[in-house]
Amino acid sequence: MNDSNVPAFELGDSLATRCGNTLTGVFLPGSRIALSAYRHVTHKSRDTPTETAGQDPVLIYLAQETTLFDEPVLRSVLAEANATFATLQQLGPRTTRAEYVNISRAYRSIVRSCLEKLEQAKKSPDVQTDEPRLRRFSDAIVVFYAAECLWHLFEILYIQNNQLVVPQLLDWARFHSPQTEDRATDLLLMAEEASESDDYWSILKSLIMLGEIDVTRAILSQNRKTGQPAFKAAELILKSMPVYQEGYALQKFHSQWEYWHVDTERKIQSGVFATEPELELVIQLVVGNSEQWDAGIKESQDCYEYLPGYLLSTKPTCKPFELRIAAANWLNRWHLLRPERELCSMNRMVAQLMDHDIKLFIYEAQKLNDTHWFSTHLIDLIHHCGQLKSYFDQNNIDLPALRHSMIYEYGSYLMTSHNLWQLGIDYLDCCKQEGQAAIELLLPRISLRSERQATKLINLARQRGLTSVEQEICKVLSKQSYDKERYGNALEWAIRSKDVLLVTADADFILKHYSRTGNMLCPDTIANVGGRMFISPRLVFLSKYYEFYEFYRTRDFLSASELLVNLLESRITPDYFWPSLLIDSMPLLESKDPKIFAKETVAILHHIETELVPIIERDVSKYGNHHTETVFKDYRVENVDEILNLMRLACARNLARALIIENAMPVA
Amino acid sequence: MSMANVSTHYISEKVARVRWLPEQLQQSERFVTGSWDMDRNFVRLWRLQSNQYATATESDNVDNVPRCMDKVAMEDDVTAMEFVDKDTLAVSCADGHLSVFNVQRAVEEDQMQRTARSERLHCFQRSQESAPCTDLSVYGTDIATAGEDGCVNIVSVGNVRQVKRTIEADSMALFSICYISQHELVAANRMGVIRMLDGRVATEAQPKLTFMVASQDDKSSNFVSSLSTHPMQQHILLCGSEEGSITVWDLRNLNYPASYLSAHKSPINEIGFHRKDPSKLFTAAEGGEVWMWSENKVLGCDSSKKDGNSPWLSGDRVRSLVDVEGVLTNIRKAVNSFDVHGSRLVCGGDTEAVYLVDNIA
Repeated sequence: MNDSNVPAFELGDSLATRCGNTLTGVFLPGSRIALSAYRHVTHKSRDTPTETAGQDPVLIYLAQETTLFDEPVLRSVLAEANATFATLQQLGPRTTRAEYVNISRAYRSIVRSCLEKLEQAKKSPDVQTDEPRLRRFSDAIVVFYAAECLWHLFEILYIQNNQLVVPQLLDWARFHSPQTEDRATDLLLMAEEASESDDYWSILKSLIMLGEIDVTRAILSQNRKTGQPAFKAAELILKSMPVYQEGYALQKFHSQWEYWHVDTERKIQSGVFATEPELELVIQLVVGNSEQWDAGIKESQDCYEYLPGYLLSTKPTCKPFELRIAAANWLNRWHLLRPERELCSMNRMVAQLMDHDIKLFIYEAQKLNDTHWFSTHLIDLIHHCGQLKSYFDQNNIDLPALRHSMIYEYGSYLMTSHNLWQLGIDYLDCCKQEGQAAIELLLPRISLRSERQATKLINLARQRGLTSVEQEICKVLSKQSYDKERYGNALEWAIRSKDVLLVTADADFILKHYSRTGNMLCPDTIANVGGRMFISPRLVFLSKYYEFYEFYRTRDFLSASELLVNLLESRITPDYFWPSLLIDSMPLLESKDPKIFAKETVAILHHIETELVPIIERDVSKYGNHHTETVFKDYRVENVDEILNLMRLACARNLARALIIENAMPVA
Repeated sequence: MSMANVSTHYISEKVARVRWLPEQLQQSERFVTGSWDMDRNFVRLWRLQSNQYATATESDNVDNVPRCMDKVAMEDDVTAMEFVDKDTLAVSCADGHLSVFNVQRAVEEDQMQRTARSERLHCFQRSQESAPCTDLSVYGTDIATAGEDGCVNIVSVGNVRQVKRTIEADSMALFSICYISQHELVAANRMGVIRMLDGRVATEAQPKLTFMVASQDDKSSNFVSSLSTHPMQQHILLCGSEEGSITVWDLRNLNYPASYLSAHKSPINEIGFHRKDPSKLFTAAEGGEVWMWSENKVLGCDSSKKDGNSPWLSGDRVRSLVDVEGVLTNIRKAVNSFDVHGSRLVCGGDTEAVYLVDNIA
């Protein structure tokens, strides 16, 4: 989390070292950078090949930001926060502050439960033995601990917006330095024996500095000497310490507190505690004796650990705006006493929060190594609860735009990192047109693992009315199936894609395959196309032809011939299929009892002359007379033109028979 | 339903399937989940434990918390899971294999291990790549799997390495399969065509019996996403479809569907009756909803006496004979699977969480 440990990447291959290890990079989608060796060339450099050209291979490196979220435990943070985020978006304009506080708590509880899971997982043997993983876990704990701590403070100061901050700040400090409480619990359990333990008094002092008056009393009451006057007096002082409660008259409380304060000081001075010097020190802390506090500060781990406790003993009714001054003073004091300690960035951020410097705080928050989880969600919450609106207006920060860009970035990050897309899409949904456009670009890039997943993607696209995405996915799958020679599957995806050209191409393929080999591909699919056939005239033809084929196969020749004539008349027959279609009519024309009426026979003849003959002529003029390269092939004949005469004859014969039968019909 | 108590548990995995461990006499305390679309996919065994953080306030208390007892890594996405008997679990995987797991209940730590893995059951003929196995159905000791390659394989749980029968059922990807009797199956494809198959005969001799799922718009495709039969009256087949509707078929009469109900607004990912109480039907949808359909006791009571007259077969009148309630709504992401045992429902989906609902009905 320091500015110093910015991740660095060096190429170091032979080509790069040759030009002084310089590199150039290009951003790729999915927050990746492609890096390669670079040599500085300007308009002044001479345009000649490099002396060392071709000696070293050009290597391109893909650098990707490491994220904490590769760890499965941390995924729940993303997933759960996503649900909370969505809840927040749905809150209406009339939401009360309490509801926003609840949302804020929900976010914090997500982090806390995750921290707990992390701590647990860190102890497990398979993490303990895995050095890099252990480090990842430790990093994650540091990051999320900081996130929770800062969020908590932010919630107290800016979302709850109470007039009094000290009680909440005490909770905050206690939660984030649990060691003292743990030790205090030990002391309580030890009961009387506790007074003998070495760190008895130092723990009591820490407890006072954390504002834990009641716990201190409980421990003191277990002391062996609890019956002695000094202890009794201490108990009385601690018990009578005025605690401000909301609704109290401030003036009255102040006078009470002043009285108690002066009274206690007087007691100390009169030597009530002379017999118990350690106890005296504790009581001096309670009344805010600077010397004792200075000593305490020197012991403290963290710069803000004891600030709330100090406020409790010196200024218990501190208002949020007064906190700023108190915090600044405290920080100065801390620096003076402990010049060797540098502020870590978390303490800096705590200072910024207390100093009401949200601008800088947000800037620092974005440096947390959590791929902006913290800053994005916090800014979104700030935007919604509207508490800091005037602050942002004064500082010329366009909060809606900031939120928009943060959510957009975060959403695109999730969309591009694999298997987080379902979470990312919700964030992009909040980003109006840009989000929509990003979804449109990113959704088709998600690699398709199975058709079930594809249908999920299609469903997402459909919900958002992104027809183009839906069609693109279908087209990709259609092409994949086609390459795998699964034509039925390809045809269905093509129909789903609603792309007329693609459907036509697939239907063409099936028809051509049939006319070449006599095998109908994927009959089960074609049989069930049903109403979907109308997407492409070619598909209509294919379906209808298949119907004919089935009639013919099941020897229902009358229906077959009727359908055939209809097909001939329909004008949707593709050129290449004319030979097959007309050859199909041959057996029907030649059958012993006529299936085709005279009028239809004339029509067939007409088609032969007007459709087939011109095609064959064109073919001949293209390839010469004795061509084997006919464009129109049918599995039943070698050369289509050879059967022309046979066809004509068949027509003539059928016409003759049909005319006789039709005209011999008894006139009713 | 106001008594129903829903608790959410984030488990950091997208859940493809969830199943309670079968228990005869008591409320099941254990369930299994299978994940999909993760870097590493697992079948996990969970057990409900009493919540150690339970607070005194009654209102939003979570009584039970699932704890992962054991896990087994899978090669690819889990696509379907079903218990064959009390402690044998069949798991189909997107790499085209079928696995059999054995679950051991114990006082402290339950265990689970893979006892067998089949040969590759599903692959694309041309490219010889694995085809995802999409669904499985169990009848007795037989397991039928359906795959994206359009094949149906039947194996016996005792020896999954030997395939009893392979049927090339369809030229399209099959999405769902369901046994309707000991030897007969129905398999549904992406176009909404449901095929009747016979496990005893080879591909060529299969009965050519097909029927289509009903659809609002017959110009667009409507795949069957889930199939289920009535537990007592196996001739009643319910099909959940892509458009979110339910088509009910009476398998004794395949001329037309018995009923058609428009229900959800998104694909129905799983549909199924309560195992013990067939008056209740549940549906889980891609849009993040779980609904419960219960037979109207007042109107439906006399019809239940007349054997074989289920309200589900009563055409347009189904709506008045069946009440619908939302068990879970507004999850916003797909609920992929659910299972009900006794009065408890567990479901999971792409929110990476499992939801436990107590006091169902």
